[in-house]
Amino acid sequence: MTTVESARAAVRTSRLLLGVALLLVAALYVRALAFTPVEAMQGPAQKIFYVHVPSAWTAFVAFVVVGACSVLYLVMRDIRLDRLAAASAEVGTVFTTGVLLSGPMWGKPIWGTWWTWDARLTSTLFLWFIFFGYLVLRGAVREPGQRARFSAVLGILGALLVPFIHMSVKLFRTLHPQPVVMNPDGPTLPGSMLATLLFGVFAFTIFYAGLVWQRYAQLTLEDAHAAAAAESER
Amino acid sequence: MTPDNGSFMTAAYVVLGVLYAGYTAWVWRKGRD
Repeated sequence: MTTVESARAAVRTSRLLLGVALLLVAALYVRALAFTPVEAMQGPAQKIFYVHVPSAWTAFVAFVVVGACSVLYLVMRDIRLDRLAAASAEVGTVFTTGVLLSGPMWGKPIWGTWWTWDARLTSTLFLWFIFFGYLVLRGAVREPGQRARFSAVLGILGALLVPFIHMSVKLFRTLHPQPVVMNPDGPTLPGSMLATLLFGVFAFTIFYAGLVWQRYAQLTLEDAHAAAAAESER
Repeated sequence: MTPDNGSFMTAAYVVLGVLYAGYTAWVWRKGRD
């Protein structure tokens, strides 16, 4: 099977995973909105948590993948690692946009303000700027090797923000809530809320995998077509 | 008493639904090119 044939097959197969992921996300909406209790202190706005946290989790996974692929690219110079980093960065930027949109819609009714320049919020906004810049950089550099090298350096620098953002609620005095699952004393959520949150994390992780797989296959096809066009011009 | 802030919840679910469905549709269509 040629590279083009296997990429076309991957475009088709990844659509199945993407379809399953969409059903899972739809099921999350139904479970969170209709079958998860309303929190007594915060009211219905607390349910934003079930899409906000999975979006943040997925964005962090996406940027850790970018960082790992970028390091490996600089060592191995395998263009497939650059493609995977590019696909993951694009999907991660979309999920970070989701985090930055859903957070203020919870903050306004609970904190009384859409935004505050708190360490967690500000560093997440900077993460979005870095990866938006990463995507602009990829669009601006034509030569594939140079594009991959420059992007890898920026991808590593961006990924270094992820552990900092995770720790920011511990390192600084912050308005943002502390972790309710990944904390030393174990989860502090009631069982049904925890189950909805974990289902959300699962659904969004599958959603991420489907999107990245699809974009990776598309980028492989684009590179193959560009290489064929360059060959025919010679 | 539970606060009545359901409109924020609805807005967040709609906005994220539009964002993610819109991006997925763009990706899906790009795969057909």
